[in-house]
Amino acid sequence: MPEDLILEMKGITKSYPGVTVFEDFDFDLRRGEIHCICGENGAGKSTLIKMLSGAHAPDRGEIYFDGKKVEDLTPRSAMEMGIQTIYQEHNLFPLLNVVENLFAGNEVTNGVFIQRSAMVARAKEILEYLHSDVSPFDVVGQLGGGAQKTVEIAKALIQESRVIILDEPTSAFSQTEIANLFKIIKKLVQSGMSIIYISHHLDEVFQLADRVTVIRDGEKVATYDIAALSEQQLIHDMVGRDVSLFHQRRSPVPMGEVVFEARNLSGNGVRDISFTVRRGEIVGIAGMVGSGRTELAELIFGAKRATSGEIHVMGRKARLRAPLAAIQNRMCFITEDRQSTGLFLKHTLARNIPIVSYALTKTPFAFPKEDVRMSQHYVDALRIVTPSVSQLAMLLSGGNQQKVVLAKWFATNAEIFIFDEPTRGIDVGAREEIYKIMAGLLEQQKAIIMISSDMPELIAMSDRVLVMRNGTFVGEVQRDDIKEETILRHAIGSGAR
Amino acid sequence: MKVRNLLKHDNGPIFLTLVCTILAVFVVELLFVRGGDVSKVAFIKAMNVSNVLMQISLTGILATSMTLVMISGGIDLSVGQMMCFIGTAMAYMIKVVGLSNWSVVVFGLLLAVVFQVLMGLIISWTKLEPFIVSLGFMSMYKGFTYLITNGREITIEGKFTFLGKTYLNITESFRLGMPVITLVVLVIIMWLVSNYTKFGRSVYAVGGNESAAYLAGINVRSLKVKLYAVNGLFVAIATMASLSRMGTGNPLMGDGKEIDVIAAVVVGGTALSGGKGNVWGTFIGGLLLGCLSNALNILGVFPYWQYVLRGAIIILAVLLSFLSGRRAVATGRRLSGRGASEAKAAASPAT
Repeated sequence: MPEDLILEMKGITKSYPGVTVFEDFDFDLRRGEIHCICGENGAGKSTLIKMLSGAHAPDRGEIYFDGKKVEDLTPRSAMEMGIQTIYQEHNLFPLLNVVENLFAGNEVTNGVFIQRSAMVARAKEILEYLHSDVSPFDVVGQLGGGAQKTVEIAKALIQESRVIILDEPTSAFSQTEIANLFKIIKKLVQSGMSIIYISHHLDEVFQLADRVTVIRDGEKVATYDIAALSEQQLIHDMVGRDVSLFHQRRSPVPMGEVVFEARNLSGNGVRDISFTVRRGEIVGIAGMVGSGRTELAELIFGAKRATSGEIHVMGRKARLRAPLAAIQNRMCFITEDRQSTGLFLKHTLARNIPIVSYALTKTPFAFPKEDVRMSQHYVDALRIVTPSVSQLAMLLSGGNQQKVVLAKWFATNAEIFIFDEPTRGIDVGAREEIYKIMAGLLEQQKAIIMISSDMPELIAMSDRVLVMRNGTFVGEVQRDDIKEETILRHAIGSGAR
Repeated sequence: MKVRNLLKHDNGPIFLTLVCTILAVFVVELLFVRGGDVSKVAFIKAMNVSNVLMQISLTGILATSMTLVMISGGIDLSVGQMMCFIGTAMAYMIKVVGLSNWSVVVFGLLLAVVFQVLMGLIISWTKLEPFIVSLGFMSMYKGFTYLITNGREITIEGKFTFLGKTYLNITESFRLGMPVITLVVLVIIMWLVSNYTKFGRSVYAVGGNESAAYLAGINVRSLKVKLYAVNGLFVAIATMASLSRMGTGNPLMGDGKEIDVIAAVVVGGTALSGGKGNVWGTFIGGLLLGCLSNALNILGVFPYWQYVLRGAIIILAVLLSFLSGRRAVATGRRLSGRGASEAKAAASPAT
C-alpha cells in the first residue's frame, strides 16, 4: 500500500570518486514500523543514512517523504521535515544540561527572550513519557550512554520527528540499557513513529524488527518480513559476494616456531585474550567495527597497559610498558589510520622512514646522509612513487603513504608485524602490491597479525582467523574453513541466541 | 633563478625579507635623512651594527631554545618573568649572601633548570596546555621576583662582569660583545643538536605528530621534560649576560621579553602548531626585528608609531613565509601528480 509509506527511496545511485556505492537502490519505510538494515562493514549502511539525513545528496534517484517528493535535502530540512538521525557517536553538547541540549537551536522564545520555564516543563513531560529518570538539569556529559541516547530520542520528539534513524545505538551498552532502549523504541512505534534501526547484532534485529532489509556492496539483496526470515537466510544474504571481488588465495609457506604468544590478556576494553602466532603465519583478526580489534593491537604493542595477562615474544616473557619496549622486542604496528598515527605528514620521506630505527640505535647521534641512503633504498625496494626522498609525506597518494609507513617499520628489521587495516583507502593496484609485500615477509619467516574489516582480504591472506566480539575472541576459523559465512556468524553472534 | 632557489630553502623567505629590509632602510636613510651623503648613513656604521647585534643577543639566546620548544609543539610564556626571577635571585646571592662568581653561576643554572623541569613534568604528565601552565609559572616568577627585591633593584657594583662586559675587538669600531658570541655559539650548538642527534629528531617528530612519535618508540614525556630543562638553561645564560651587563638585578629586567622571543621564533618560520622550523630561521628572524627597531630609531620615527610599524612588519613576514610554504606544497603536488600516473604505469604489468 503506497499510502501507508512515510518514506520511500527510488532508483538511488550514489558514487564517490572512483567507487559506485549505490546503484539503482530502492527502499521504503512504513508508518509505525521498525525497519532494520543489515550488512557487513562497508556494505553501504552509513552512506544510506547520510543520504536520508541530507548530509550527502544522491547522484540520481528520488526520495519521497509522506507522499511528497523531496528536493535538495539538507541536514536542516531533513530535521524540519521530521527525519531525525541519531548517529553512533553522541551528537550532544556534553557540557550543557539536558534542557539546553533538547532545545539547542530550537529555543522556545517570546520573540526576544528564551522562555526557560516553558522549556523545562516540556522537557519534563517528554522525559516522563519516555519513563526516563533523567532530570532536565543533569549535565549531559555526566550521563551514561543509555541515558544519552534517551536524551537524543527526546530531542527527536521535541522536534516532532516522524522518522528516527538509529545507527548502532547499543554499542557499549549494558543489558539493562539495551532493554530500556527497546522499551522506548516499541512505545514510540505504537504511537505511529517509524524507526530505521541499523545494527550488526543479530539478536537485536530479531527482537525488534518488523521488516529487515539486507544490503551488500551498495545493493539491496532483499527485504523480508521478520516472520519470514531465518537466521541462516540473513547471514547467507549478508555474505555471498561476487566471486570476482575475491583475491586469489595466498599459497601458504612452511611455518616455523611460535614467536608471539598472548596469555589471558585483559585491559583497554578487551578481556581474556589468548593466542599464538608462528613464523611464516598470518593470523587474521576479524570482527565488526567496535568489537575491540584495534584496542587489542594497542595492548599487544604496549601503547596501552594490560591489567592482567602475559605476552611472550620469541619464547621469553616480555614486559611491554611502552611502544619502545615492543619495538625492542622486534615488533611493529602498522596502524589503521596512517595520517593520524603513522606518518609525519609535514616531514620529508627521509625524515619519516628512519624514525623508528633510531629507537634501536645506541648512540645519541642522527646521520642525515645515512637517512637519505636508507630512505632511497626503501623507496626503490617498495617502489614508492615520489620525485625524491625530500618530498613531504603529505604529498603522496594513499598507497604510497602506506608504503612509507611500511618502510618505516621494515627499517627496524622487525620479526612480528601487526597490521591494522593494511589496505584501507588505497587503490587496487597498490593493494595488490601491499599483499605481495606481506607475502614477501612470510617468505622471510616473519610473523603477521592482521586486523581487517575487509572479508576478501581476510580470506585471501590469513592462515587462521580469530573472530572478536565485545572485546574478546568468540571463535577461531582454521584455514580450510575460512569462509565469509563462518567468520560473520561468529562476528555477529548468531551462536549467542 | 638564484632568488627562486633561495626561496625554496626553508629560511629563504625570511632571509630575503632581511636583505630587503636592510636595503630599504639604507635607501630611505640615504635619500630622506642624510640627503644623499653615503658617509653619513648611520645604519650601516660598524658601531651601529655591533649595537644591533648586542641588542638582539639576549632575545636571540632565549629564542634559540624557544625554537626547539615550539617545534615540539610546546610554548613557554614564562621566559621573561623567569629572567627577572633568576636575575634578581642571583643578584641577591652576590650582594646579600656574598657567593663567589662561580657558585652564583651554578646557583642560577640550577634554579632555572629545576623550575623548568618542574614545569616540564606538569606539562607532560597532566597533558595541560603548555600555554596555560607557563602562564601560571609566569605569574609565580613575578611574585618571587617581588618577594626577593621588594620592588627595588639590587645593584652588584662591578662584580660578575665577565659575561656582559668582555668584548672581542675586530676593528676599532666593530666589536663583538660576549653575549653576541654566546648567541652565535648557542645557535650553532642547537643547530647541530636539532639536525645531528636523535634528541633533535625526536623534537621534530613529537611536534609533527605526537601519537605517531609515541608509537615510533619515542618517550614523549621525558623528551618534553628535557626540552624545558634546556630552555631553563638558556634562560639562565641570557639572565647572566643581562645581569653582568647591567650590573644590577632589576625586577623588570626581562619584563615582556617573551613577546619579542616568540615574535622572533614565529617570524623565523617556526609553526605554532609544531613540527616545523629551525634555529637559523629564528636567528635571522631576531636579526630582522632587531634591525627594524634600530632603523626606526635612526630614521626618527615617532616611538608610538614604531609599535604600529613593528606589528605590521611581523604580520607581513609571517604572511610571506606562509605563502612561500603554500607554493612549495603546490609544486610538490604537481610533481607527485606526475608521479601518480607513473605509478599506474608501473603497477599495470604487475597485475
